[in-house]
Amino acid sequence: MTTMIGFDDVRLGFGGVEVLDGVGFGVGEGEFVSVLGPSGCGKSTLLNIAAGFLRPDSGEATVAGEPVTGPDHRRGVVFQQYAIFPWLTVEKNIGFGLTLRANRRSREERRAQVARYVELMGLQGFEKSLPKTLSGGMRQRVALARAYATEPQVLLMDEPFAALDAQTREYLQELLVETTQTERRTTMLITHSVEEAIFLSHRVVVLGNRPTRVREVVDVPVPFPRTPESRLQPEFLAVRRHLEDLMRSESTTSARS
Amino acid sequence: MTRPLRRTPLRWTLPLLGVVLAVVAWWLVSLVMTGAKQVPSPAATLHAAVVGFTEHDLLLDLRLSVLRVLIGVAIGCAVAVPVGFVLAWYRPLRLMFEPLVSFFRALPPIALIPLVIVYLGIGEQARLSVLSYAAFFAAVVVIYESVAAVDDIYVRAGRAMGASGLELFARIVVPYTVPQVFVAVRVALGIAWATLVAAELTVAQRGLGTYIQDAANFSRKPDLFAGIVLIGLSAVVMDRVLVAVMRVSVRWQDRVAR
Repeated sequence: MTTMIGFDDVRLGFGGVEVLDGVGFGVGEGEFVSVLGPSGCGKSTLLNIAAGFLRPDSGEATVAGEPVTGPDHRRGVVFQQYAIFPWLTVEKNIGFGLTLRANRRSREERRAQVARYVELMGLQGFEKSLPKTLSGGMRQRVALARAYATEPQVLLMDEPFAALDAQTREYLQELLVETTQTERRTTMLITHSVEEAIFLSHRVVVLGNRPTRVREVVDVPVPFPRTPESRLQPEFLAVRRHLEDLMRSESTTSARS
Repeated sequence: MTRPLRRTPLRWTLPLLGVVLAVVAWWLVSLVMTGAKQVPSPAATLHAAVVGFTEHDLLLDLRLSVLRVLIGVAIGCAVAVPVGFVLAWYRPLRLMFEPLVSFFRALPPIALIPLVIVYLGIGEQARLSVLSYAAFFAAVVVIYESVAAVDDIYVRAGRAMGASGLELFARIVVPYTVPQVFVAVRVALGIAWATLVAAELTVAQRGLGTYIQDAANFSRKPDLFAGIVLIGLSAVVMDRVLVAVMRVSVRWQDRVAR
């Protein structure tokens, strides 16, 4: 399996404090990998490096074998705060990336692409709506559609469901897991939810606390297609127990330090 | 349960009630204040205004003042909008010109009136240049500060989709800032009215400022009051019109500035 997203001994400090202390792992082509860690451990920093918003002090991030030097339309980003443009309608938000010079498509192609993701994300009937009229869950569906519509080589999701209520969060996780089964795209998802990491991923990378390194990489043997019932399978529960133990020991280590 | 105010008739009746209360208070004061320090009653003031419009061509003064404000604000903002955006977008330029902008903004435009008289005389050109100047510096600061306040998350989202510097500016920063441009024009309108009246007090033959100055010189109190009320009303009407235009053109905003 070719590595689509790679971190090689990535180190980064802010103001003399080491945040990432030699992080290394890879995400294979078509693979969905979650990065799990306690809050404040630098997992979002890692995503920002892969997205090209931050440069590591040493080591490097690669996407499709090329070192990341800055933001690029071939890497789609979904932010926790949605970041959809409030002045554009749903369909214009979704098509936005395809109107930019770096990734421009013909009007017909753009329209088809927008229609496709409006449907996949269940946004039919809201094409002309402004974001202010949408709920948080719908806004994040627009953001997901916008990221998918640009057809990036890899998708980077930064705690996309963290700001949503529990019910909406579960619904969006199911929507995303369905999408990943029809739309196999290399994805790295940052989360602090064990449940979310298992439900969505092929593998889970667990980060240790500051200074942050990879503590363990855990395979998720829960078979696809995943449905809400997957959450109750013995494989799911076993991985969940293991990850929760890991997370618990991480938080006690950080409490002691 | 309290209903949202905007959906009830109170939305209209409460402001009206405020105005009525103020007029009643004014009327009570006019009953008490008589003799040399007499305050004209609302009715007397209204009468003075009617006489002014029918016999003294008060409409000309009103038209001149309104036109001066509109032209001054138009010129000032037409320059301030592009300058504000450029200053905000090119950091070196901003650093270079920020002290100058602060200086000229802090300088009350009225202080420039004597200087303008020396160089430009007391013609229309003199008044309009002071007004444009005042409107420009009021607006330019609002605009560049609003550009500086563009939420970084939108810029990052744009960059992640591959937007170039120019695309970020034209497709994200400009639309995001449009409501603030309206705010800038509102601020400029307010400053322009203040400056206009001061300018007319000293350097004009006609205009609302001149009208109240004349009224005061000849102790025509009802005319003085009518002129002042008219200045206030003109400024309020302009502001309301601008707010209405803003409501329609930036529907996407959660809340429009009041």
